[in-house]
Amino acid sequence: MTTPLILLPGDEVPSDYLPSSKSNPLKIGSGLRLLSQPSTKSKEPNHVLSATQAGILETDARRNTISLLSFPNRRYIPTTNDLIIAQVHHSSADFFHCMITPHTAQALLGQLSFEGATKKTRPMLKQGDIVYARVLSVGIGAGAEVELTCVNPATGKANPGGLGPLNGGMVFDLSTGMAARLLHASSSSADDDEPVDGLVVLSELGKKLEGFGGFELAVGRNGKVWVDCSNAEENAIKVTIAIGRCLQGTDEHNLNPADQKKLVTRTLRDMKLV
Amino acid sequence: MAREAPPALVEQEFILNALKEDIRLDGRGVDQFRPLNITFGEEYGHVKLQLGKTSLVVRISAEVTKPRDDRPFDGLFNIAMELSAMGSPAWENGRSTDYETHVTHVLDRVVRHSNALDTESLCILKGVSCWSIRADVHVLDYDGNLTDAACIAVMTGLQHFRRPDAVVRDGQVIVYGVEERVPVALNITHKPLSVSFCTFNEGHNILVDATRKEEQAAEGEMVIGINNGGEVCFVSKFSGASLDPISVVEKTDVALLKVKELNTQLDKVLQADLAKRAKLGMADESRAANDR
Amino acid sequence: MVGPTASLSNLHRADGSASYKCPVTGYDVLGAVNAPIELPARKDALKPEDATIEVFVKPGKATAGVGERYVERILRTMLEKVILGREKGLPRRGVVITLAAVGGEAAERGDSYITIIPALLHASLLALISAAVPLSMTFTTTLLGVTRSGQIIRDPSPAAAKAVASLHVLSFSSKGHLLLSESQGRFDFETWELVRQQAASICRAVATTGSDGDTDMGEGADGAHVDAFVRETVEDSLHRDYTWKLESA
Repeated sequence: MTTPLILLPGDEVPSDYLPSSKSNPLKIGSGLRLLSQPSTKSKEPNHVLSATQAGILETDARRNTISLLSFPNRRYIPTTNDLIIAQVHHSSADFFHCMITPHTAQALLGQLSFEGATKKTRPMLKQGDIVYARVLSVGIGAGAEVELTCVNPATGKANPGGLGPLNGGMVFDLSTGMAARLLHASSSSADDDEPVDGLVVLSELGKKLEGFGGFELAVGRNGKVWVDCSNAEENAIKVTIAIGRCLQGTDEHNLNPADQKKLVTRTLRDMKLV
Repeated sequence: MAREAPPALVEQEFILNALKEDIRLDGRGVDQFRPLNITFGEEYGHVKLQLGKTSLVVRISAEVTKPRDDRPFDGLFNIAMELSAMGSPAWENGRSTDYETHVTHVLDRVVRHSNALDTESLCILKGVSCWSIRADVHVLDYDGNLTDAACIAVMTGLQHFRRPDAVVRDGQVIVYGVEERVPVALNITHKPLSVSFCTFNEGHNILVDATRKEEQAAEGEMVIGINNGGEVCFVSKFSGASLDPISVVEKTDVALLKVKELNTQLDKVLQADLAKRAKLGMADESRAANDR
Repeated sequence: MVGPTASLSNLHRADGSASYKCPVTGYDVLGAVNAPIELPARKDALKPEDATIEVFVKPGKATAGVGERYVERILRTMLEKVILGREKGLPRRGVVITLAAVGGEAAERGDSYITIIPALLHASLLALISAAVPLSMTFTTTLLGVTRSGQIIRDPSPAAAKAVASLHVLSFSSKGHLLLSESQGRFDFETWELVRQQAASICRAVATTGSDGDTDMGEGADGAHVDAFVRETVEDSLHRDYTWKLESA
């Protein structure tokens, strides 16, 4: 691993930072654009990429991907396959019109895009309800509409698990960077003790709150996290708030693992949960 | 646009349910303000205020102008607040919203119409020239309770501001530069502040200093403008659910308590800044003396 | 000479923000960017493939007037050149840039407005970067005054700016293009050429030859070049936000 490279808009990616794998085609993530690619005609043996945002260059040699980690407070832009928490704005004959981030165009969620939904069994969502959904497509060009789904079209099931309407609980706002970190950490192997992406706050909360029956969590890439602790019965509200505050505190103050643990201990003590 | 995005139903329900157990999302008591942080810029009357995540800048300025024909003995005082897209993506640049009108109205009533700034002292020469004091409010981050935050910042700014000295000699107005004569503090007659209350759960829960999420979940709002002496200069209850008259009386006592607390804190930061300036001024003077 | 100071992402509500303070000219500007967002009035009808850029300048101690509208137009024209309005999620959406003079002396009536342009442009650039708005390149700007005796002074103070024969604001992209040239006063072409040369050497380390565009820190590292200053500010901010990643690496 070479030292992290920070690029500014307009900077070209040095060729020695490009992943060298030739078996897969190079996948270019956000923050970068392709200026020229290797071909038999051009003399350039490598891809030429230029940054369009400021960020830290991140490459994955195995999957042959390259992207730029930009500022974590940025606004979320829908990307296919992302998991998000959307809020229903209104419904029409065939669609629920949903809000992903405030003051942007609404996304469409088919009335039948739910597990086992038929004309009769489809969920009756009203304004202000929230759903855990996957971005199905973002369309091409100007005026393209974002489409969401709560079902995997291949299997007809709500996988990855938990897609669908979210009832009860509470949603908290996080930065988009933090949401991406939480999702990445939860998708990586959770059994080893090494913290993923420097996050220990969730595992620490899990350990400390076991006595309250644990909690359910859904993280949306659009900077939202839904928390439900209905198992904790009379303490449900306190536990939910404690989780929200620990996640937001870790996000806002860029806490390191040791401080995350301290924050969890302090918050639970403040809320009289230990 | 021009309105904040509505909160999700679960957020609204959760906030209301938590309040039934007397719990606020940030763990504050019902009558507790968020941490208030006030700093000053280099010039007089430049205030930076943070109330939790709500933050704003107030700048006071003065210029010599002609008094109004119908009030030849009075100076002018204006509060200018324009909400820009900086404070919230919901606000559109160059287009005023109902919310802006509302906050400006409260500020105007509490600070200006209560005569907190003695405008007669701004008169330089009857019917010919007077000072025009202007307070510009810049909202940098909006996370609820803009009214109280702006009120505190404007009052702090007025107390911090120093205008150039001016005299009338042989019918001529002479304005002295800041270097020539020590600038003069404004004449503050009393120190009113506003305290906003949000009501929830049919008036069972009444909170001070609501955050944006709390404001959105609230059923009604009430604003009380009051000074240290307990003189109420403004009460408004424009919209939302009805409120028990007894609560209004009870909350006036809370408002008085809060205003006293806030004014004590303001006095402290103003004194500290003044002391700092005096020290710097002394250092400047001794340096000037050395140069001579 | 005291250099400028800047910081990124100071605000909570805006998608991106930056403050830029120049002690010499006395300007202290806060910039906020919201992007991409829906514009209420459909101002995008003329260019459906592109983003609509809006610039709003708010003076510190006065109501916005003709001067603000004038600099807004200059800023918008220039920023439209570097913002990649056709990238994902941007076409038909708005990029709203709000700039407020939160400190320093305000331009008095009749004063020149072009003196504030460098501070406004730097605050805009940093706020755009903080909001991760796609840009084709970065840029740097400088203000130069030419005195009546022909001497070129860098970043004249408001008092000095009143006394000069001509004022010039020049912007250079990180690739060396001249993006903006606004002048005011009396000057001849020879003077302007001298001004351009000096501005180029202030804005960017000219010695970065080589076609690979590798703007290496090398000679600019002393902080005298504005582009090095912009780069350091952004890098510091990214380091702060990604401590969790950079420290473990």
